[in-house]
Amino acid sequence: MTLAQTSALPPLAQPIISVVAIVYFAIVAAIGVWATRRTRTASDFFVAGQGIGLWALAIASMAATLSGFAFIGGPGLVYSVGIGAVFIILPVSLTNSMGAWVLAKRMRLLAEVRDMITVPDAIGARYRSPLAQGLAAVAILIAVVGYMATNVLALGLVIDAIFGVGLAWGIWIGTLITLAYSVAGGILAGVYTDVFQGSLMALASVLVFVYVLEVGSGLSGISRTILGADPTFLGPWGKLTPLAALSFFFVFGLGSLGQPHVVHKFYMLRDPRRLKWYPLIMTTALFVTLLLYVGVGLAVKSLVATGTMPALARPDDATPVFLLRFTPLLLAALVFSGVAAAIMSTVNSFMSIGAAALTHDIPVALGRRVGNELLWGRISTVAISIVAALVAQASGTLVAFLGIFGWGLFSSTLVPALAIGLNWQGATRAGAVASIATGLVVTLLFETLAYLKVYTIPAGVSVAGLSLVGSLLVFLVVSWFTQGSEGAAIDPDIKLVMEV
Amino acid sequence: MTRSLALGALVISSVLVAAAYVAAMVSSGVPSWAPWALMVGTSTIMLATMVLGASRARGGVGKLAVPFVIIFAILIASFSAALSMPAESASSALWLGLPPRAAVILYGIGVFPLFLLPIAYAVTFETLTLSDDDLARVRAARAQRS
Repeated sequence: MTLAQTSALPPLAQPIISVVAIVYFAIVAAIGVWATRRTRTASDFFVAGQGIGLWALAIASMAATLSGFAFIGGPGLVYSVGIGAVFIILPVSLTNSMGAWVLAKRMRLLAEVRDMITVPDAIGARYRSPLAQGLAAVAILIAVVGYMATNVLALGLVIDAIFGVGLAWGIWIGTLITLAYSVAGGILAGVYTDVFQGSLMALASVLVFVYVLEVGSGLSGISRTILGADPTFLGPWGKLTPLAALSFFFVFGLGSLGQPHVVHKFYMLRDPRRLKWYPLIMTTALFVTLLLYVGVGLAVKSLVATGTMPALARPDDATPVFLLRFTPLLLAALVFSGVAAAIMSTVNSFMSIGAAALTHDIPVALGRRVGNELLWGRISTVAISIVAALVAQASGTLVAFLGIFGWGLFSSTLVPALAIGLNWQGATRAGAVASIATGLVVTLLFETLAYLKVYTIPAGVSVAGLSLVGSLLVFLVVSWFTQGSEGAAIDPDIKLVMEV
Repeated sequence: MTRSLALGALVISSVLVAAAYVAAMVSSGVPSWAPWALMVGTSTIMLATMVLGASRARGGVGKLAVPFVIIFAILIASFSAALSMPAESASSALWLGLPPRAAVILYGIGVFPLFLLPIAYAVTFETLTLSDDDLARVRAARAQRS
C-alpha cells in the first residue's frame, strides 16, 4: 500500500497538533538512540540480528505495508470513486495468510541454513545465480528510489501542514529525522519505531471510525444518504469499471508477495515456530488500521450529499477536513502524527532494503564483497535518502512518475522468482532471470510510454497487472523448457527448506 | 500430485488474466467476458499459490483443503454476484448497512476470510506447516554444511 500523497494538505498549524507531533518525534528519537546502542554488526543493521519477537514482526510489517496513502490518499480515493477504491485493500483478508504459507516459513528457514540478509540473497541461493540476485537488486533499487521520493514528498507535505515550514523544509526535516534513526539504529530502530508507529496508526483509525459512525448515523445512515444522491457510488465497483476494480484486486493481492520491505522482515523473527500466529495478528492489525480508509471516504461523501459539508476541492482533503470538523483536536493531532508515522515507517524500510541492495547484493552479483558492510550500509542509506529527497524536491511530475511503478516493479520482478520459485522445484535459473528481466522491461517501457504520452494503455488495464502476469507466464514457460539443464539444480540445504 | 494440480491451475489462470488484459487492449471496448476471465483468473491464481505454498513435499494440503475450497467458493460466488446482480437504486435494501452487491464484496471477500484462513493456519501449523522435527532437520543441515 505504498501509493503516496503528492498534493498539498490544508494548513494544520495549531498548537495542539504541533505539540503532539513534537512529542511523537521525540519518542521516535528515543527509540533510535536505544536501537543505536544495540547495532554492532551488519546483521544487526540489516536483519535486526534475527532477534525480534512475533508481535514486533507483525506490527512492524503492518506499519511498513501502509504508507500515508492509507490515511490520506485512500480515503480521498473512496470519496471520489466509491467502493471501487476498496479493491486496493480488499485482498488484505487473504494476503497475509497467503504470504505465511508461501513465503514466511521458507524465508525464515533460509535464514536458518544460510546467512541471509536481503531478499535477493534468497533468489541468489535458490537459483545459485549471482545474476538473478543482481537483477533483483537492480529492480529493488529503482523501485526504492521512486517510492522513497514519493513518500518523502508526502512527509514534507504533512510536516509543512503541521508546522507551516514550507514544502522544501518539510522534505528535508522529514528526511533527516527518518535518516537519523535509520542510519544509527538500522532496521532494529526501524522495527521498534514501526511497532510504536503501527500501534498509533491502529489506535487512531479505530477512534476515527467510531466518529465516522456517529457523525453518519451508522453505516446504514451513510449508505441510505449516498444511495439517495448517487447509487453508482455504492455499487460493487463504484465509479470504476469491473475490469479496473478487479485489476486492483489482482495487483494488490498477488503482488503483495513481492514487497521486499515486508518479506525481508521474515528473516528477523527470533523463533520460526512463532509464525503460527503471524497471519492472525497481522491481518487483524491491518483490518483495524484500514477502517479509517473506508470509513472517512464514505462519511465525507455522505456529509457532502446532505449539504453538511461543501464538496471538496481536492479528494485528498477528505481526511484532514473530516478530522478538523468532526473529531476532537487531540484525536486529529494523533491521526496527523499517525500519517507521519505511516510514511516514516515505510521510508525507513525502503532505506534499509535499498542500502542492502547497494552494499550487499550488487557487489555479490559482481563477484566481490564489501569489506565493512555495516559502515557502507550506513553510507548507502544516507546516499539513497539524499537522492530521494532531491528527486522529491526537483519535480512534481517526475515524482509522480517514479512513484507509480514501484509496486508493479516489485511485484513483477519478485513474485515469480521468489514466491513461486521457493515453492516449485521445477523453476530454473533461466526462468528466474527471464521473468525478472520481463518485469523490469515491461514495467519501465509501458510506464515511460504513458509518461511521455506516446502510448496509454486502455482504462481498466494496469501496467502493474500486465507486467505481473507477463513475468509470471515467462517464468513458468521458460522454466518448463529449461528443466533438466544445469540451471535447474538446487543445493541440498535449499532443497530441504523447500520440502519442509 | 497436489503441487502439480496447483501449478496447472496457476498456468491456466495466468493465461485467463493475460487474455482479459490483451482483449481489453486490442478491442475498442472491453469485451463482456473479460471481467469474468479476470475474476476467475485472479481467484484461481491466489488459491493455487496458497496451495503451492501449503503443500508438503510428500503429501497434499491435508485438512487445509476444507478452508481452501470454502475461500475459493466464496471468491467466485461473491464476484459472480457482483457482476450479475441488479444495480443499486435509492430504494435498495441494505444488508448489514450496505447495498447487496457492495455487502457481498465487502463482507464476503473483505471480512469473512479475515479469520478463517489465519485460524486454519494456526490450527494446522505444527502438523502441516512446521513441526519441531522439521526445524531440527533444517538446523542439522546448517550444522552439516558448516
